[in-house]
Amino acid sequence: MQATDPCVSRVKFERELGEFVAQRQHHEARGWFLVEAAFPLVFLIAAGAQPRLLLFGLLLDYTDYDAQPPSVKFVDPFTREPYTAARLPIPPLLRARPPQHVGIPGLPAPSQAPQDPQPLLQAHSPDDVIFLCLPGVREYHDQPGHSGDVWDRHRANGAGRLSTLISIIHKYGVEPVSLQVEMRPQLSIVASNAPL
Amino acid sequence: MGDKKITVTVVVNGTPTEVETNVKAALHSLVSKALEQSGSAGQSTDGWELRIGDLPADLSGKPEDYGLEDGATVFLNLKAGVGG
Repeated sequence: MQATDPCVSRVKFERELGEFVAQRQHHEARGWFLVEAAFPLVFLIAAGAQPRLLLFGLLLDYTDYDAQPPSVKFVDPFTREPYTAARLPIPPLLRARPPQHVGIPGLPAPSQAPQDPQPLLQAHSPDDVIFLCLPGVREYHDQPGHSGDVWDRHRANGAGRLSTLISIIHKYGVEPVSLQVEMRPQLSIVASNAPL
Repeated sequence: MGDKKITVTVVVNGTPTEVETNVKAALHSLVSKALEQSGSAGQSTDGWELRIGDLPADLSGKPEDYGLEDGATVFLNLKAGVGG
């Protein structure tokens, strides 16, 4: 819902867009392409570098920006349909975490236990639409579990800015992606033309 | 003779700002100046990622280590905060 003066949201939307366009060559060299922008929506597609593959679309909605952060959805680049967790074509933006120090009674020094990487893309079930679990993203702040981490705590430091979002998504969702091809030869016996 | 000074364009969260730095000064100082000039003074540089030639830079390194020349453009963005 647009509660902010639409002129304010539009000016801030134009600023975000203008900054992207000013660095367009840089973004395109990294595989980020602006497909469409008309307030309040921006549609981008992201491609991998090696090999050159279309990975996903990103649909940003700046309605009520920046009283609220932008909505960020990972979508099918052809249909713009938001991805569910089950249909996401890339790993869910995995961020490595440092090992945890675990004190075990009887051992002289705390030992280190490795931690699983943290997915930045999350959903409550495989059929739910995934969301970017990151401060500065509307879907993050709308989660009841994040009601204590309000948008106003992050608004001034650059969270939710288009450049920041692209930088983070690129680091965890585009750079680490590579193509894995599995060749599974199958042999079977078939008959050619049936003899009379 | 003093060390060579260069002017680098630092794109902070999408907004460019020009920063003068010494080629032998740690990149920490470049980042601190860029944050100050872009209105983000007081923030710890730990929360930011500097990319030179699209690769993350070690802030204890120097501009000359990365071959930064006068007029170069580098990118400074906020790191992913605590999420999940």
